[in-house]
Amino acid sequence: MTVYETDLPGVGRKFEYEIDGDDRLVVLIHHDGRREVFRRPSAEADSEKLFELSDRQAREFGTLLEGAYFQPVDLERVQVPLGEEIIEWHEVGPDSSAVGRSLADSNVRHETGTSVLAVQRADETVGNPPPEFELSAGDVVVALGTRAEHRTLSDLLSD
Amino acid sequence: MAEVLVELGVAFTALAVAGALAARLNQSVIPAYILAGVVVGPNPPRTLGPVDLTLVSRSQMLDVGAELGVVLLLFFLGLEFSPDRLLARPTRLLGVGATDFLVNFGVGAALAALFGFPLLTALFFASIVYISSSAVVTKSLVERGWIADPESDVILGTLVFEDLLIAVVLAVLTAVALGGGGVAAVLASVGTAAAFLLALAAVAVYGTSYVERLLSVEADELFLLFAVGVTTLVAGGALSLGVSEAVAAFFVGIAFGRTDHAERLESVVGPTRDLFAAVFFFTIGLSTDVTTFLDVGALLAVAVVATGLSKVASGLLGGRFYGLNRRRSLRVGVGLVPRGEFSLVIASLATAAGATLPRTEELASFTVGYVLVMSVVGTVAMRYVDSLTAFGGGE
Repeated sequence: MTVYETDLPGVGRKFEYEIDGDDRLVVLIHHDGRREVFRRPSAEADSEKLFELSDRQAREFGTLLEGAYFQPVDLERVQVPLGEEIIEWHEVGPDSSAVGRSLADSNVRHETGTSVLAVQRADETVGNPPPEFELSAGDVVVALGTRAEHRTLSDLLSD
Repeated sequence: MAEVLVELGVAFTALAVAGALAARLNQSVIPAYILAGVVVGPNPPRTLGPVDLTLVSRSQMLDVGAELGVVLLLFFLGLEFSPDRLLARPTRLLGVGATDFLVNFGVGAALAALFGFPLLTALFFASIVYISSSAVVTKSLVERGWIADPESDVILGTLVFEDLLIAVVLAVLTAVALGGGGVAAVLASVGTAAAFLLALAAVAVYGTSYVERLLSVEADELFLLFAVGVTTLVAGGALSLGVSEAVAAFFVGIAFGRTDHAERLESVVGPTRDLFAAVFFFTIGLSTDVTTFLDVGALLAVAVVATGLSKVASGLLGGRFYGLNRRRSLRVGVGLVPRGEFSLVIASLATAAGATLPRTEELASFTVGYVLVMSVVGTVAMRYVDSLTAFGGGE
């Protein structure tokens, strides 16, 4: 990531931000605080003006870009804390011993200590699944438990 | 009192209307301000049907405003002068700046010789056609969106180079012109100017911390008064010693620009500069008799074509120095065509030195006509340059 900064006498400052290769975003900060944002797809092309913001708008918009208002979640590890216990999502691996067996047979409750709240299969969710519910590979098990209990469950479902 | 107030009111209103019209037509305000002065001034056109158009006479009040306009224009030139830019790529910029100077100053000098101007007047003439208009060019760059592209670096770099060079040229020329008489007088005058400007330059370079403290005031109004006060005082002092007030103001601008207050100066003093600069252009319009354009018609026609083409040529070369392609290089050339405020400043300095300078009246009326044409032609050419490139075979 490279940023090129140029002083423009009588106008303000210019920043060029490399997106990738020759493709650049050009941000022009005028002395009066106005921001003009251009995009130049290649070195030979002309910059195309994308938008213009006032100083105040630019600051607010900038925080949006920074993610200050909304932090995108890393979907690899979703955790919702509930006191000591947390809710976690576990994917059932193809080689897991739990595949093709009901929750009662796998004895999930007693083996791991977690409570299964729901199972997500493709785009449907079975809430509070009965003991005879059979797991298959690719299911996502939503369970409640301590961190240690979750580790045990994760081991059971991934092998 | 009432009369003066009404005249000033007419002047400012005429400026406002002209400026609004220029904005509507996507043109620079500078020619519009001059034309406003021409219309309501004492020279023709004097009537519009039954309406008397001679509403404003050239009063001392306006003259003082115009003088302040010149001082503040040059002050801002110094303020925005960035030595870092000049030193960033010195060899390249030197190549571009030198090409620009040699070609355009050269063409100007040749024209002046062709039309039989005496040496000193010829040098003023060459300076007038050499210097591009920072105001018009910069504004057009932003409007056209070229400002985001590499050609703007070359154009703005050239302007910085021109500004510095013209300060030197002006300092020498005015010293010689104001020195008048014999060789000894001229030498004394040039010596005084050099000493004064060197002292100013020393303050600019070494006195940054003092200037910094001088300007460290909370309230904007005090800040404005300090800045304008110091600038005007130094400019006045310079003039009483026979040194160009414009060049002195340029150096004060450089001194102020090196402090941390540069941006605050731009925003706080900017409106004051705009007001008095408008008065300056208006006053030029007031003292312009458009019928004299006919007397300098041949010179005007030849100069417009020759110096327009010479800027395009030097810009093409300069763009090549920076490794730009043909299309961008052509933009550099066309982008530098507009001439404006500084050509007028130089002409007004020549007029001020009038007594010792032959044919200044001719020079003054030529400059007004020239700036009117060049500022408009330049901005219009910037609009169509790309179609020209396409017509000439792409990149």
